[in-house]
Amino acid sequence: MTTRDSILAAVHAGLGGLRAEPDAIAAEAAGLLADLDAIRPRLAAPDPVDAFEIKAAALGTTIERVRHLDDVPAAVGRYLAAQGLPPAAAVQQTAALTALSWEGIAQDMATAPDQPAAVGLARLGIAESGSIVIHSATDSPILLAFLPLHHIVVLHASSVVAHLEDYARLLDGGSQPRNAILITGPSGTTDIEGSYVRGAHGPGFVHVIIVNDRSRA
Amino acid sequence: MTAQDQTSFKARAGAALADTTLKLAIDRTTGTAERKRAAALAGFPEFEAARARGAAIKDHVIANLDHYLETFERNATAAGAKVHWAATAEEACDIVVRLCREADAKHVTRSKSMLGEEIHLPDALATAGIERVETDLAEHIIQLAGEHPSHIIWPAMHRTREQVAVLFNADHKPPPDAEDPASMVQSARRVLREKFLSADVGISGANFLVADTGATCTVTNEGNAELTTTPPRVHIVTAGIEKLVPTTAHAFALLRLLVRSATGGELTQYTTFHCGPKRPGDADGPEEMHIVLVDNGRSRMIKDEFREMLRCIRCGACMNHCVVYRQIGGHAYGGTYPGPMGAVLTPVLDGLKQSRDLPFACTMNGRCAEVCPVRIPLPTLLRAWRVRSWEEGLEKAPMRAGLGLWATLARRPGLYRLASAIAVRTLRVLGRSGWIRSLPLAGGWTEHRDLPAPAGGTFMERYKAERAKGDSR
Ligand code: SF4
Repeated sequence: MTTRDSILAAVHAGLGGLRAEPDAIAAEAAGLLADLDAIRPRLAAPDPVDAFEIKAAALGTTIERVRHLDDVPAAVGRYLAAQGLPPAAAVQQTAALTALSWEGIAQDMATAPDQPAAVGLARLGIAESGSIVIHSATDSPILLAFLPLHHIVVLHASSVVAHLEDYARLLDGGSQPRNAILITGPSGTTDIEGSYVRGAHGPGFVHVIIVNDRSRA
Repeated sequence: MTAQDQTSFKARAGAALADTTLKLAIDRTTGTAERKRAAALAGFPEFEAARARGAAIKDHVIANLDHYLETFERNATAAGAKVHWAATAEEACDIVVRLCREADAKHVTRSKSMLGEEIHLPDALATAGIERVETDLAEHIIQLAGEHPSHIIWPAMHRTREQVAVLFNADHKPPPDAEDPASMVQSARRVLREKFLSADVGISGANFLVADTGATCTVTNEGNAELTTTPPRVHIVTAGIEKLVPTTAHAFALLRLLVRSATGGELTQYTTFHCGPKRPGDADGPEEMHIVLVDNGRSRMIKDEFREMLRCIRCGACMNHCVVYRQIGGHAYGGTYPGPMGAVLTPVLDGLKQSRDLPFACTMNGRCAEVCPVRIPLPTLLRAWRVRSWEEGLEKAPMRAGLGLWATLARRPGLYRLASAIAVRTLRVLGRSGWIRSLPLAGGWTEHRDLPAPAGGTFMERYKAERAKGDSR
């Protein structure tokens, strides 16, 4: 017997040798997620983007809203200037961002270990927690979100979902990337005497530029 | 208690009680943790319903664990990960060391994992001559100090900032700019940054194993898990077999409970799902991903009263709210896991004979069960160990180790009830502020220590009431 088989046999025996049908197990598991509103927090505001902004700001994330994607480079420039940083950043090499005119901002193609600032595109935002989500991909290096001191994230308002489960549903059907990361505020630690210090290993600053691409009624 | 402190519990507890710096350090962190958790729950009125559901999710998983293990294995394998199985701590370490050797690893980075501590992976790597770099700030501190974690969320909580400064000044080149926490965190960031990028293997644990995607999930606030698992060529995960959840959505339901109970946050800064190695064309990520599923006593727990302990999501709330933990800290427990959950788990892992003092190092005030986000009846489980200890003839002298009269009374439910009922009444009068300075029957303990006053009724009174309710059903 392999170790695998003996562990599974021990588990099986511990459960009394009974085993439910996979369909019955799946139905029971689904039942455990019924009436989700009873077990999750309400949004901080009726509008998911407003709720996202309230939650993210509470965590120390800074936010600017712009009207068009074309406004992003100027917003990045303003942020860098306000932080006293030179007008330079690593920009994620993804079509939506590379198509923009970055005049006045020196683009680094690769992220350096001590990169001051990087600009990336969020897959989506989660209103409940003020999180932004990034996925690994050919045009999405994970280190872009971890090496810089300032992580500037472009988020489309239309891609903000209400709750964590709404995001989980999008991963159904085999679309799970290698890394799916929910980033909820700047890196921090409470490891010395429980006192909060911002900026541990990841970025000390997260700045979200929300592009208002929703058609308002 | 293998590879850890071989002294007696009584000696360790005594030394801890006499250590005023330790008391200061514990109070600073547990006090903050308790306050933040309370604030987080005040903003989450759904907590009671959520914890009932959380407990039900974990019970469902354990009741179908063979199914979920096989499903996870299938999906993780389909995603390109290699799944390994280890029945014991030694087997798990052997697998990790072999994988490191196959990767020709000179130095490995590690992202905090209590399972790694449980199987004594740091020692195994040292024996194998593989340089290990701990990347979690607290683990970095205790690696420099040559110690084991004293808490499952804040492994270095027994160290004051002044003590951390001494360690960093000696090790960091250049040393921290100043001795406040912010400067010391910056210094650790500087020192560890190069290590991340040059590691051959990154080792992490997992907070959840998601059956239907085959992904492992890590949660951190520092960002060290992603920096540990992304740059090296090989990523190794070690995880206990009880970490399974059916789907990502179930993981989220538990995560809401975990984070609020652990740190008082709503979500960790980084919640990451790792699903297999780098995909073709991916901009970064490891070329190999290995997942070591570790039993180490868990399958045995399924069939007895300790099955409920498999619900534990390792939040640490029970220890933050434990009067005994707050007096003696984590190291005195002598095992990998301290506090109430450790007192239940250590006899499973290290044997009751070596750790039989732990189930007695408890006042049965019931605070741990009140705060546990998955409703584990910790006092009931500790009582079960006490009974077993009696049955196995391990208890002989009446005034054995630990808490003297208190422990003796606790073993005689009738007397204990009477004594603590008297105590509760006296304490209410003394303890208007919630914390008291003297407690009948525990003179030795309260000499230097404050104990929280009981909330209302003793645990035993409530236990009997609960039992009566149960019987009438
Ligand atoms: S026993 Fe409960 S309170 Fe203690 S660590 Fe486990 S889940 Fe948290």
